[in-house]
Formats: sequence, C-alpha cells, structure tokens
Amino acid sequence: MSEVIIKGLKKVYEGGVTAVHDVNLDIADKEFIVLVGPSGCGKSTTLRMVAGLEDITDGELYIDGKLCNNVEPKDRDIAMVFQSYALYPHMTVYDNMAFALKLKKVPKPEIDKKVREVAEILDITQYLDRKPKALSGGQRQRVAIGRAMVRDPKVFLMDEPLSNLDAKLRNQMRAEIIKLRSRINTTFMYVTHDQTEAMTLGDRIVIMKDGFVNQIGTPGEVFDKPVNLFVAGFIGMPVMNFFDNCKLILDDGVYYAQIRGARFKLDEFQQKALKQNGQQSCDIVAGIRPQHISVGQGDLEAKIVVNEMMGSEVHLHADSNGDEVVMVIPTVDLKTDVSMGATVKFSTQPKLIQLFDKASGNNLIWYDKASADACAPVCKNYIF
Amino acid sequence: MSGSGQSHALKRRETVTAYLFMLPALCFFAAFVVLPMIMGIVTSLFNYTMKNPVSKETFIGLQNYVDLFHDATFKRSMLNTLILVVVTVPSVTMFSLWVSSVIYKMRPGWCSFFRCVFYLPVVTGTVAVVVVWRWMFDGYSGILNYLLKAVGIIDKNIRFLGDTRFAIWCIITIMFTTYVGQPIVLYVAALGNVDQSLVEAAQVDGANKMQVFWRIKWPQIMPTTLYIVVITTINTFQCFSLIQLLTSGGPSGSTNTVMYYLYQNAFSLYKYGYANSMGVILAIVIAVLSAIQFKVMSKDVSY
Ligand SMILES: Nc1ncnc2c1ncn2[C@@H]1O[C@H](COP(=O)(O)OP(=O)(O)O)[C@@H](O)[C@H]1O
Ligand SMILES: [Mg+2]
Repeated sequence: MSEVIIKGLKKVYEGGVTAVHDVNLDIADKEFIVLVGPSGCGKSTTLRMVAGLEDITDGELYIDGKLCNNVEPKDRDIAMVFQSYALYPHMTVYDNMAFALKLKKVPKPEIDKKVREVAEILDITQYLDRKPKALSGGQRQRVAIGRAMVRDPKVFLMDEPLSNLDAKLRNQMRAEIIKLRSRINTTFMYVTHDQTEAMTLGDRIVIMKDGFVNQIGTPGEVFDKPVNLFVAGFIGMPVMNFFDNCKLILDDGVYYAQIRGARFKLDEFQQKALKQNGQQSCDIVAGIRPQHISVGQGDLEAKIVVNEMMGSEVHLHADSNGDEVVMVIPTVDLKTDVSMGATVKFSTQPKLIQLFDKASGNNLIWYDKASADACAPVCKNYIF
Repeated sequence: MSGSGQSHALKRRETVTAYLFMLPALCFFAAFVVLPMIMGIVTSLFNYTMKNPVSKETFIGLQNYVDLFHDATFKRSMLNTLILVVVTVPSVTMFSLWVSSVIYKMRPGWCSFFRCVFYLPVVTGTVAVVVVWRWMFDGYSGILNYLLKAVGIIDKNIRFLGDTRFAIWCIITIMFTTYVGQPIVLYVAALGNVDQSLVEAAQVDGANKMQVFWRIKWPQIMPTTLYIVVITTINTFQCFSLIQLLTSGGPSGSTNTVMYYLYQNAFSLYKYGYANSMGVILAIVIAVLSAIQFKVMSKDVSY
C-alpha cells in the first residue's frame, strides 16, 4: 500500500522562479504515473519534491497516508533513478546496488542474495565487479535501475531515465521497463519529455506546461479528449493538424464545424455536449489528427508537397490553400494518386474533429470534463 | 599508404613544434632545477668547504653520509622534523577539511569571508606573521601569558620560545595557522565540485549527513586530500624561515630541523659538501614519504 497524494504543490526557487504553480495528483497504489511536458515545465521539480530533494514551498505531500513535507529523503523510503544515473563512481556495480541495503543494516547474505537476484533480472551479473566507468550507457542505465530495484521502495521515481540513450537502446529499455513493472509491485512516478514514452508506459499521464497541470488521464483519454490546444499538439505523432480561423456554427439547433470550404455536421455526442454548455456560434481552431484524415473524396483539397513512404503507411505533407496538413494514410487504403505535386481531395469524420475555442484554446467539448465523462463514443478502436 | 606517411610527417612536425614551445621552460628547468640537483648530489661526495674546492684531493666518497649518522645534532633535527610532520600534516588536513565542509555550503559572501580569513596568513608573509606571534608568545608582555594568567591556568609567566618543552609547539602552532589557508581553499573548491546528483542519490538511498559525507563526498575529494597531504608534508620538511625568524633552532636544538641545520652548515660553517649530503637525505625522505602517501591513498582515487 503506497499511494501518493499531492495537494496544491508549489515550488518557488530561491531567486523567485516559480517552477511549479499548483499540482494536484492522486496516485493510486501500484499505479504507473508519467509526468510529461516540454523541457522546463516543472516535471523534475515536482518529482524532486516528492523525493524530498527540494523543499516544498506550498501544498501537501502524502506518501502512504503520511504527511511527508518535512520528512528527510532518507526516511521517505523512495527510490529514484536519475537522468545522469548518478552511480557512485568509486564503488563497484555490486556496491552501488548494495549501498542502500548496507545503510539499512540488512544482513550480508540477504544483501548478496537480493543484489544477485536483481542483477540476474537486469542481465548485469557479469559486470558486478566493475566500476561504473567501465560500463556502456545502457549498462549504466540498468545498474541505476537495479540500484533502485533492490530496495522494494514505496515509490519508484524516475527522471528521464532513457533520455541519454540512443534511439534503439531507448526503445529496448522502454520495453524492459514495461516488463520490470510487472515484477516490481510498486507505485511509479516517471518523468519524460517524450510523448511516446509517456503513452506507452503510463497508466495515467500528467501533462504539464509552465508549472501547471494541463490534463491528467489515461493514454487513450489524453489522445482522444485533449482538453486544450497544448495537450492536443503535444500528444500524438505526427502532431495534430490545426486549422485556424474556423467557425462553429449553430444553425437551427444543430452544430456545424466550418473548416475552410467544408461544413461538417457534428456527431451526436458533440451536439449534446455543446448544447449542454449552451454553446453559441463562435470562432474556433479545428484540430484533426493526421491518422484521422482520409483522401480521395471530400470538400477539402490539398497539394502534396512531400510523400514519405513508411511501409505500412504513408505520411503526406500537403498544402491546403496555405494550411500545412499532414496525413497518415494506411497503404492498403490508398487508391488515389498521392505522388508529389498531385492534388487530392480529403476529408475526415465529424466525430474526430476537435473543436478549440479560438480565444482560450480550450476544447469546447472536453475541457474540464475529460475524466468525468469516460464513456463517450470516440474512436475507442484507435491503436496506440 | 601516402595517407599514413603524411600523418606521420604531420605528427613529427607537431612534436617538434610542441618542444619548441616548451624550450624556454625546459631551459629554465634544466638550468635551475636539474643542474643544481646534480651538483648537489655530486658535491655531497666531497669534503667541500670554503677552503677546499671540489677536486680530486677532497673526494671522500660517502664519508659525509657516514658522518651524518653519527651527528647527534642531525639526528635531533631529523627527529624534530618528523615530529613537525607527524603533528602538522594530519591536523592541517583534518582542520581544513572540517572548516571547508562547514563553510562551502554558506552563502558565497560568507564563504569568501572565511576563506580570506584563513588565507590571510599565507599572503601576509612569514616575517610579518612571525613578528605578531613573537609578541603573542613573549615571555614578559605577551598576550598569551596575560590571558593564561587571567584565566588562572598559570600564575607565573612562561617563556614559551625559550623553553625546550614549549618552543616546538609554538613553531607547530604558527605552521598550522599558515598552512591551513591553501588546503581550505582547495577543499572548498573540491567539495563544491562533488557531483550533487551523487549526494542526492545517496540521500534517497537512505544515507544520513555523516554517511553522505564519509561514503560519497570523502572518496570524491580524495585526490584533493592526497594533494594536500603531500604538499603539506613537503612544506613542513622544508620549513626554514619560520625557524630562522623565531628561534634559530633553539633553545638547545629543540626546534632545530634538517632544513635549518642544513642552512647553518652551508652558510654559517661553509661546509657545503656536508650540507649537500643532508639535502640529498632530505630529498630521499620526502620522495619516499610522498610515494607512500600516493600509494596508500590513491587506492581510493582510482576510478
Ligand atoms: N535550482 C533551481 N533554481 C532556480 N530555478 C530552477 C532550479 N531548477 C529548476 N529551475 C527552473 O524551474 C523550472 C522547471 O525546471 P524543471 O523542473 O527542471 O523542468 P523540467 O524537468 O520539466 O524540464 C525551469 O524554468 C528551471 O529553469
Ligand atoms: Mg527535468
């Protein structure tokens, strides 16, 4: 049992930088939470406050039901994997991993058993006698994780653990972390700036920007129901297409989205939500994911500028009367000429259009209700 | 083929250029370090005095060294020197480590202030420092006597510098105050350079302040400690001006050191050969001690 509850967490650094404004977060026992956001948004600061490495300026932190604001890091029973790995350079891999247990005065045979067991899992047994300097990046990474694993901590914190690895190793380690997770039965807080990592690892994702939490939700939720332009643009690869200066039109009790020359009658659930809000006609930014565009027919038109064949799908960069549009089309569905320079008609399904208020950037449908209305019928079948 | 040949020529040209750049320094080194060293070793084999120049007749082999081992004054000065080293080196190292570990975390202003305070004796110059200490240790009007009497520890003035029991401790005290400045500056820098994430990792791993210090920071600053121990050892061995100015080796040889005895032989008695043999012994002792220190401590440095 080790849930983490964060209430109104705030951090003002000496010198007046407010790194974290107001973070509220309930992390369930054994949940894998990912904090994600662009560099400088306060993810590390939040994590470090949970670890006790930074003082909490304001707010409350409960670990396992106990108020921990003023508890020393050493007494919080947390483990942390640092971005730089922070392996003790003067100790062997074995001693690095045994360090925490030695401090806890665990009997030697028990330490030995535990270290070897974890080393076995991480496949680093043959390096136990080496100093960290003699290891490659990926091996150091494993040792850093191993050092945290031997402890059975209440909370497992990781600050961009994969960002120093090359792309291939990163993918491999990501898969390993997913595997590890099932072995280490504990609560995880994982920080990354990489949305792919966040989507693949997290039970829930916390999307942060400028010291504020923008959205908390499962990968599916943040993908399908982004609460604002920022989340919509941050989550998803390639980035969502935004059509500026579009209109939401309320005509005779029915809502339409006017995107350039095309008018889309919105889906049932959108109609209902907008009606509930008493939404009037207004200026909007319309968002359509590249994967949600189909080519061949429709009222929109674009000229293909770049055609990237990825194998199972093709990425098209097109120019639609000044709007840059990216489309991801499964190769099997391709019946139109999409070679460079070709002009194609394209369209999307109305229910897949995200509607953002032009003034505030908030999603007209999902803002503030993202988690409340969990069973809305939006592209549940999309595979991440 | 031609590629490797070219890089060969290039490498050679670079090496030549490098040596050309070093030439002035090398000349100085040869003229003022290597040459005197060789001359020192050579003349130590002669009965070389003011009257007797180095010649075939004055060559006496290792006689100077044999004499040294029968010279009670030399043995006494060697003992004194070793006492100075054994007391000064550990106390300077530990004290400067302690002070540094307290001040390096302070605000930059305070840290600089304390560094200045401890570094002041280093830049003041031995003469000025000794003048002040002489006055403090003075047997008639010294402040130390005044204070000790005021507190009631003694009831009669002590002539600190004229008493065989106290004189060497006076030397050690002054040495200590002038020797801690540099180590403190070095330690403050070294402690500030310890990778903070290692400290944080240890804290998260459950280490308290003491454990963080001795298990993480201490090994990290080992190279600095090694350097401090070695230079303090060498400085102590070579301490001369302090003794010349304060006690001239007295009373009755109780503060005589090898360096000072060497100076006396060379420049008061003009027994150059004999003095040089002392210099050689001193050099050997320093070299051996430093080597041992390196060996013992760099076990922990090698990572
Ligand atoms: N020790 C510090 N002192 C002052 N400002 C800091 C400190 N650490 C981080 N910051 C600032 O706080 C903000 C958030 O930093 P951080 O939590 O490291 O962001 P992230 O991990 O999301 O990239 C940044 O603007 C950064 O410049
Ligand atoms: Mg960070």
